[in-house]
Amino acid sequence: MVKVMVYPPTSMILADLVERTGHEALVVSKEVRKKVNTPGLDSPPLNMNPDDPKKGLKYAAVDVPSGVRGRMSLLGPMIEEADAAIVIKGDSCTLGCTGCARTNELTRFLLRTKRIPLLELEYPEDEFQAKQFVHKIREFLEGLN
Amino acid sequence: MKATKYVVTSQDSDVLPSDIALKIYELGREINVKETCFGVIIDGEEEDIEATVKEVRAMDPSNIFIKDRGFPPGDPRRCRGHRGGGARPGFYMMQHESEILPLISRGLASEAEGEEVPSSIGAKKRPSLEELEEMIEEEFS
Amino acid sequence: MIRIAQLSCGPEYSGVQGELEKAAEMVGAELIFPEVSLEDVRNVEERFGIEVASGDLNLAMARATRIVENPDLADAVFVATCFRCAEGAIVRSEIRKYIHENSRIPVLSYSFTERTTAETLLTRMEALVTTAKFKGLLSRERQTGLTAGIDSGSTTTKSVVMRDNKVIGTGWVPTTEVVKSAEAAYNAALESAGVKREEIEGLGTTGYGRHLVGKEFGAKLIQEEITVNSKGAVFLADAQKGTATVIDIGGMDNKAISVQDGIPGTFTMGGICAGASGRFLELTARRLGVDITELGKLAMKGDHQKVPMNSYCIVFGTQSLVNSLSAGSRPEDVAMAACHSVAEQVFEQQLQEVEVKEPVIMVGGTALIEGLPRAMEQLLGLKVMVPEYAQYIGCVGASLLVSGLVED
Repeated sequence: MVKVMVYPPTSMILADLVERTGHEALVVSKEVRKKVNTPGLDSPPLNMNPDDPKKGLKYAAVDVPSGVRGRMSLLGPMIEEADAAIVIKGDSCTLGCTGCARTNELTRFLLRTKRIPLLELEYPEDEFQAKQFVHKIREFLEGLN
Repeated sequence: MKATKYVVTSQDSDVLPSDIALKIYELGREINVKETCFGVIIDGEEEDIEATVKEVRAMDPSNIFIKDRGFPPGDPRRCRGHRGGGARPGFYMMQHESEILPLISRGLASEAEGEEVPSSIGAKKRPSLEELEEMIEEEFS
Repeated sequence: MIRIAQLSCGPEYSGVQGELEKAAEMVGAELIFPEVSLEDVRNVEERFGIEVASGDLNLAMARATRIVENPDLADAVFVATCFRCAEGAIVRSEIRKYIHENSRIPVLSYSFTERTTAETLLTRMEALVTTAKFKGLLSRERQTGLTAGIDSGSTTTKSVVMRDNKVIGTGWVPTTEVVKSAEAAYNAALESAGVKREEIEGLGTTGYGRHLVGKEFGAKLIQEEITVNSKGAVFLADAQKGTATVIDIGGMDNKAISVQDGIPGTFTMGGICAGASGRFLELTARRLGVDITELGKLAMKGDHQKVPMNSYCIVFGTQSLVNSLSAGSRPEDVAMAACHSVAEQVFEQQLQEVEVKEPVIMVGGTALIEGLPRAMEQLLGLKVMVPEYAQYIGCVGASLLVSGLVED
């Protein structure tokens, strides 16, 4: 069983395909879950506080906007844990945790330079592409064992 | 730790959110189920949730998709009703991906049946400069 | 409850969303997130005019288009993005202009860091809520009856007494202990007006010390300085119809306010910076061995270009001036360089965030230092007017507005 980070880290489709193959999908909602279930924190909506952008300094310098560093405090640990990754190329509906283009660029960069098995592909637009999409992902995931 | 997941059915599925809810009740674990327009939200202890989603997916493997959610259902920190209106950002992503779920379903069904994966059609060809010039001449003559 | 629509990118992840909500709550408002559809976000280029790479900014622009289509959705708008994000700053500026040009909803624009607190935002939020809530009061153009105002500032405390639309008494003291200084200024104003305290029908307070002074003196109006100063400014400059821009460089901070028909609209407030306020000019005057009241006349004879300044910071800026003096620069040129440095900062920071429309009115005690309005004129390429009683605009505004409450 391998830890596979999906990008966008909010993707239901990728996470589902990873988990049905028996691997663990690294998705940002799991990080959010840890945050919102931490007792004693009361910082709406995600229980993130000013220390989180400081944690993000590990990935981006102090002159990088706080929103990037804050998001990286969620995504960075996922990237570190990842043994493999699947990345969707091109635009998709990136909002919230993926609502910052600089964070997204940094995430993709760190995944690419980590030298882990990496599959990059685009969302399918028709049935023909969808069959290829699912097949490539299944092959990739099965090859990780 | 408690976990929350969405169980989403693609539009092609014959399985209704109420069918899923019923199945989960039948399994008898301590799971809260809330029906929504796109499927159900379930929450409970992590092990119970993991075991449940495996069995729920088996109801229609090509058409049922599972997604993790950070917040428990109805949590006021994220609930539209409490936070001055407006969907939380995750909702738009789900809506966006839901649009191509039928395609993914077909892809999964195809894999399950062991269908041969179609090889790529030739990539769309860009006209050469000469071809483009010809087209322009034709159009403007 | 005033509903402030939050159009933002990043505060939840910077850990400051709680502070934004606290600030809104402190001024009796709530932050709301107007509903938009996925289609609205996808079509933002068509609806708003641009689509950018960051999804949350597109969402903010989509919300702006919804608010303009349906102004009942919100009473005010708060646009906020991360400090240092260029994409965010551009979008924020365009959203502000878009809402300003297409609706009458007041907009507050702010760039936050992880260190932003509710206190930092308080004055701005208060001003936003006032502009949304008290349009009726703010449209008042005449002072009636016998009223007074006290402006409890960080450096000086001022007071005026007004009767039948005229200033009849003034008082001005350096701020030491807030209430004592207010007493002294108020008494001076009453004395110069020749009236007794009991005769005053209503008192308004403003400035940093407004709550303390207001409570102590039983003020009928306690109001932040953004709305009050801009109101006082357009009253004194006789610019209550049409557009106006008010530039208020105070002892410790600075503000720029766009006014339309006597009602303050968009405003920005610089963070506390000694180098972009009267503090720098005080220090310069001391170093040149002249009284602050003489600095202006000295500066008018000088040329700032003869004295290079390496920094806007009060510490390094002063060092530049000292070095120039040691190298033989004339005091006149040094004085003008200091004025120019302060004006330039306000020009580059605040004045890019509001619509600068004539007449441009400079107020606050610093406006009396002639070199400063002159430097601002040079930078803006527009005439800058400094009305009579420029240093009293806060108390004049408060006195004017409180007369509206007295009448009711």
